[in-house]
Amino acid sequence: MLVKFNLNGLDVEINVKPGEYLLDTLRNYGVKSVKKGCDGSSCGACTVLVDDKPVLSCSLLTAKVEGHKVMTVESIQDEAAALSECFSREGADQCGFCNAAFALMVHALKKENPHPTDEEIKDYMVGNLCRCTGYQSQQKAIKAFLGGKK
Amino acid sequence: MKAKSFLRASSLEEAYKLVKESPRNKIVAGGLWLKKGNADVDTLIDLSLLGLEKIEDKKDYVEVGAMVSQRELEKSPLVPEVIREATKAIMGPAFREIATVGGSVYGKYGFSDIITVLLAHHVELVFYPEAVITLDEYVKKPGFYDGILTNIRIFKDKNKAYFKKVEITALDYPILNVAVVKGKEYKVVVGSRPLVAALCENSTKYLNEGGKDFAKAAELAVEELKFGDSIATKSAYRKQLALTYVRRALEEVSK
Repeated sequence: MLVKFNLNGLDVEINVKPGEYLLDTLRNYGVKSVKKGCDGSSCGACTVLVDDKPVLSCSLLTAKVEGHKVMTVESIQDEAAALSECFSREGADQCGFCNAAFALMVHALKKENPHPTDEEIKDYMVGNLCRCTGYQSQQKAIKAFLGGKK
Repeated sequence: MKAKSFLRASSLEEAYKLVKESPRNKIVAGGLWLKKGNADVDTLIDLSLLGLEKIEDKKDYVEVGAMVSQRELEKSPLVPEVIREATKAIMGPAFREIATVGGSVYGKYGFSDIITVLLAHHVELVFYPEAVITLDEYVKKPGFYDGILTNIRIFKDKNKAYFKKVEITALDYPILNVAVVKGKEYKVVVGSRPLVAALCENSTKYLNEGGKDFAKAAELAVEELKFGDSIATKSAYRKQLALTYVRRALEEVSK
């Protein structure tokens, strides 16, 4: 079946299987920044934005994004680079597998709640796992990036 | 999951007709558990275009459309605080944007937090074409209802409420959950045992007849319910948790 949606600002038409999930569609289309981690809605590495809201692409049927706006980290490169600097300063960066999803989550958090508390950052990021760093350094980096409340 | 076709239903009538035609035609809510279930489907029927994603104030109750996401539920000021908090504790926001309230309820999942907290309230389920049944009736009935769940009605009641989810890690299935509401009457519910949530009728009856011994009410709850083992823990531990958290819940709502 043909699914039409907007991907990072461009209108695309992609032929998919009816039971195909967005993660596979995007990766087959060449968008490799969307990572396949658990492929079971637990790790958050496959996060993308659909109509500015974060979703797990491994768990969203591609057919459901017909007519919607899908964003991957490629569409927020400047912001991701700035966040990456904060991550580097706090030592919150190692293998980088989870970074693209983190950047999209932080982008969505900033839109929804520009000045989050520590607890609000934690609540928002809870579904995104990082196996390298632990989470304190990322918490600090995100807080620095957003200039968040205490 | 394998599927031969995907249909965006243009009416409930169309969706219902397809469901009745074959058990291999499946309604898609969020689509999360269809994937886990490794289903082999003829037609996936999507309800996204049918206006079932609204939360509305209907004077006596709040009506939640079956396609409302868990994320919208947790953010709605119309929804009782304890239900919002219980929902907010499920996985991360990117999961809850996809998962729907209707899918969570209809599936009767043994690990469900949403069913536990809703069961402690007066909740009715509206099915197309014409049934309205209480959530308690739905949960007790074996199997699934012959119809399409369209709305969940949460009746308004001044109450004090408590919800507790016990889990080994933040993104794990709960090994037990407890919801207690004290409004006109008490309602005690224990779920994730790992069976679907159930109203503790003996415990609730004891309390509503004036019983004041909360430890005894907790014992009654544990005696009347079945508890099972899972990879995460044993039934004996679940029973101990239930004894503690039901008593604690009753102390909290009675302050």
